[in-house]
Amino acid sequence: MPSASSTAPDGPGVDSTLEPGAVRTAPTPLPPPGGRRSLAVRIARVVALAVGAALVLAFPALAPNAYVLSSGVIILSYAVLATSWNFVGGFTGYISLGHAAYFGLGAYGTGLLITKAGVPSFVAIGLSALIVLLIAVPIGIASLRVRGASFVIVSIAFVLILQLVFQALGSITGGSLGLTVPRPFPGLLRPEHHRVFFYLFATLLVFVLLTWWLIDRSRFGTRLKAVREDEDKAESLGVPTRNYKLVAFVVSATSTALAGGLYALWFGDLDPIFQFSILLGAYIVLMALLGGVRNVFGPVVGALVVGVGLEFFKVNFGNTQFHLVAVAMLLGIVVLFMPDGVIPAAVALVRRFGPQAASIRELSAAELAERERGVRAAAAARARPADHGASAADGDRDRPHEDPRTTGDQEER
Amino acid sequence: MTTTAQPSVRSLETVELSKTFGGVRAVDGASATFRHGMINALIGPNGSGKTTFFNCVTGMIKPDSGRVTYRGRDITGKAPHTIARAGLGRSFQLCRIFSRMTVLENLLVASREHGRGRLLRGSHASQDVERARGLLARVGIEHLEAIEARNLSYGQQKLLELAGVLMGDPDTILLDEPAGGVNPALIGRISSLVSELNAEGKTFLIVEHNMDLVMSLCDHVIVFDQGRPIAEGPPSVVQADSRVLEAYLGV
Repeated sequence: MPSASSTAPDGPGVDSTLEPGAVRTAPTPLPPPGGRRSLAVRIARVVALAVGAALVLAFPALAPNAYVLSSGVIILSYAVLATSWNFVGGFTGYISLGHAAYFGLGAYGTGLLITKAGVPSFVAIGLSALIVLLIAVPIGIASLRVRGASFVIVSIAFVLILQLVFQALGSITGGSLGLTVPRPFPGLLRPEHHRVFFYLFATLLVFVLLTWWLIDRSRFGTRLKAVREDEDKAESLGVPTRNYKLVAFVVSATSTALAGGLYALWFGDLDPIFQFSILLGAYIVLMALLGGVRNVFGPVVGALVVGVGLEFFKVNFGNTQFHLVAVAMLLGIVVLFMPDGVIPAAVALVRRFGPQAASIRELSAAELAERERGVRAAAAARARPADHGASAADGDRDRPHEDPRTTGDQEER
Repeated sequence: MTTTAQPSVRSLETVELSKTFGGVRAVDGASATFRHGMINALIGPNGSGKTTFFNCVTGMIKPDSGRVTYRGRDITGKAPHTIARAGLGRSFQLCRIFSRMTVLENLLVASREHGRGRLLRGSHASQDVERARGLLARVGIEHLEAIEARNLSYGQQKLLELAGVLMGDPDTILLDEPAGGVNPALIGRISSLVSELNAEGKTFLIVEHNMDLVMSLCDHVIVFDQGRPIAEGPPSVVQADSRVLEAYLGV
């Protein structure tokens, strides 16, 4: 190994002053943050999860009337949509404003399969989700080639095209007159109907959340998050980013389509204006960002806040366009004061009252001490240049090796 | 010894590599052979095409013409992840890390496990985590593993990036200005790490402006000017070359 011998003279000099081990013997090794808290955090998480699940299960019994119950169904469907969106938005960082496209395709696919092909209701949902999966592959390949704002615009373009197509194909889709989807349980009264679909949406939500959680903790998920942080860097570390993004995109579109199909069965009446709506796509993004895209329950919390807000504003200001202004103000408040979302903001608030986390200042102090040691050792090494020169085998390498250290120390002062 | 070494194993080679941006020939017919098992340096004045050459080799930019081979295998225009998995790891000129992921996760991204069936397994598999911790200890930032990478100092981020590259266990490591913007103590640590790793059999290709570091650390120096190599050889020879002096000093 020629290089080993040629670098050998550097060895002793560098090692005695700046060997990597110096950090390992740092006087105050920091305990890994989270180690102390982890049990308390885990218990708190389980309790919160149990309370949340109990509240969802009890909601239909607690709801005072059919309107509140139907609002609950809408909020759950929002939660499914926002969590589905988060497969792309949260993991890869690609912001799609046009996810209503897959919602609409899933809904219309289900409705058309039932009315035109006589497929049983719930089989139709699965079939239309499968069709959306197949459509999402080429759309994903095409649209994921561009990043940032360009991707956002492509996603909007797709939903607008679909809206025009479904309006134009009146003979098949019913156009602006709408498409009536027969109810799967014709015998049920209205509140019962809402109750059944509340639990169906809750089941779908659990399924989507589980999938998100599974990906989040997997190798696949870790690499997707690397795409979100720095796509080129991830690629240079051996991550086939194009395929990874495509898988996340297709999973997202398919589960959005499932929500669309279930919505078609529940609501029973489809209109291109409302199914392929940019407003819906924007609400989905708002919910996910508001809750926090890096937490599994972020989009659910966002859906709850935005969903309740939307209903409240509609009830109170529904006769004017002010309800849209109110939603915009909500978005503004979140962006200004909780840019990472509600959940991270709440966690940060709780942490303020907990024990202080290891601050970064503490670290730089340790670093400072280490550098101090390095400088002192370097000075000591300079004090005995003769014996260092004697140990060097290669004469002409000795000079350039001494240079960086002396000039470096001068720079430091 | 270094001058006579004719590589028995072929490492990275380029033939007539070219890349034009608009009217600028950033890399202009560059043919270069890097030595296996050595610390190769790529130096040259600003704008001489070093980083573009680097990006063409690692697949971040597709060259207009020419060929890149690694160990005799043609890797011209292949996707960066394919080149990375072929054994070429790289760092970036402006240190790039995954800032909102923890230090440990930054390394787990680069785990070599790429089997389709294992992608959905937990990312914190014990052998990956152990390997990552070993590498963090080696560069000296293992006490920071649970901290988000954006909270590290710039020097620590440089070390993290190096550990991340090592996580993929590449045979050849391309470092783009490893000493850029870091304090002298850290330059010493990085250079001793490089020579240790080289002693373990890793080949290095280093783009660097710190001449003292290049001359003390590297075995084989290739000098770039106007998009192509103008001189190569051991540091002492290159240092005295009149074409190199001309390129740097304009005399």
